[in-house]
Amino acid sequence: MKRRKSLFIHFSNIRKLAKKFALVLLFLSAFILMLINKTDTILIEKTSSVVTDVLSPVIDVFVVPAKAVAGVYDYFKELKQIRTDNKKLRDENRYLMGILDRAKALEIENNLLANMLNYTPPPEAKYVTARVIAEEGDAFSHSLIAYTGHINKVKKGQVALSDKGVVGRIDKVGEMYSKIILITDINSKIPVMVERTRVRGILSGDNTPYPKMIFIPLEAELSVGDRIVTSGVAGVFPAGLPIGRISSIEKNNVKVTTFSNLDRLEYIKLVDYNLDDVLID
Amino acid sequence: MLDDWNENLMSYLQRLLPLISSLLLLFISYTPLDFFPVHNIRPAVGFVCVYYWLIHRPDLFNLLSVYFLGLVDDIISNVPFGANIFSMLVLYVLLNSLVRFFNGKPFVITWYGFMIMSFAAFFTKWLILSIYYAQFLPFSMVFFSFMFTVAVYPFLSLVLAFVQNNMIADEE
Repeated sequence: MKRRKSLFIHFSNIRKLAKKFALVLLFLSAFILMLINKTDTILIEKTSSVVTDVLSPVIDVFVVPAKAVAGVYDYFKELKQIRTDNKKLRDENRYLMGILDRAKALEIENNLLANMLNYTPPPEAKYVTARVIAEEGDAFSHSLIAYTGHINKVKKGQVALSDKGVVGRIDKVGEMYSKIILITDINSKIPVMVERTRVRGILSGDNTPYPKMIFIPLEAELSVGDRIVTSGVAGVFPAGLPIGRISSIEKNNVKVTTFSNLDRLEYIKLVDYNLDDVLID
Repeated sequence: MLDDWNENLMSYLQRLLPLISSLLLLFISYTPLDFFPVHNIRPAVGFVCVYYWLIHRPDLFNLLSVYFLGLVDDIISNVPFGANIFSMLVLYVLLNSLVRFFNGKPFVITWYGFMIMSFAAFFTKWLILSIYYAQFLPFSMVFFSFMFTVAVYPFLSLVLAFVQNNMIADEE
């Protein structure tokens, strides 16, 4: 009886001790997780892809009902906008029709010149359209989860586009779901150039809505409103994809406003440019 | 026998409700909705849930629940693994010593309390991620996230209070 009692006391002491150190252990485990994240990205990537595949369907379940609730709010908000939007769209349509005629003429001319130069065109791109099921855009991270993955032959590093331009690149690919890093995320670095002057630089996200252009030559000629497109350097992103416009130029700080509204992405287009040698799965 | 089994199962589920409700709110907070005010900034639902349940039902929301919630938040978001866990554990440590103070206090006092505690949690997250990336993250954005989270606290706590009052049996 006495022995049982002492055993019980012994066990309760261990429990108390474990409780005391549980907090320290959990803090330590969080710290170790961050260290692993920093050093062994492959392990984290694989784990994250698998777990995202498990968790994403749960989030997906909430997308439709949550959107239905939000839809009521949107309905009244949009009602106000429709009239002005309609007028704007008509003007834009007229303008675009003119551009379309010019583009057609240029395409014909381009084909003729390419034939004369024996130019080898880049491989044709394949598109996969994916629905966005989760998004975040705070000070800590800017990313999306899209409903597409290995099942649709999506690969890490592929470009994600909206109807207006580049939004980011695929960071982690699961079987059914993929994580996409937005161009505003701190981990995003894209080779870009100023369309007008062909000045090259790197578009670097800093977790603000306005990524900055860095590594620009000192004598570079830049002005507010200049269009920024991908430069194609490094081969991951093809050249000429629209990204945004320069919104402000200060000392060593060139900020860019993206063409795509990164807060309002419902669908994205993932483009496979057959760059298998460059993309690492 | 079957009734006993059912009763046990129900009581077990009730004990898990704080964690389940927190996870559901967390999932909803990541769905792509249009009504977030500026630049897709979302409230830090994890902080709200940790704070609410630790004050109102600390018996049903323990250290492991905090850890698990932080881990799930890390998985969904794209921040390095461990960052959300770390900041939520900081919130847990700060609150653990003040739970008795906040218990039974008017809502406004707990709201002010949340403002102070969540600021500490946001600051911790900002600091560890700034160290991780070896550059300061935009503090203005952090501050805006913090303000937005504080602003939506009453609404989220209403949802959690509904779960607490209607789905969970009173403390014995």
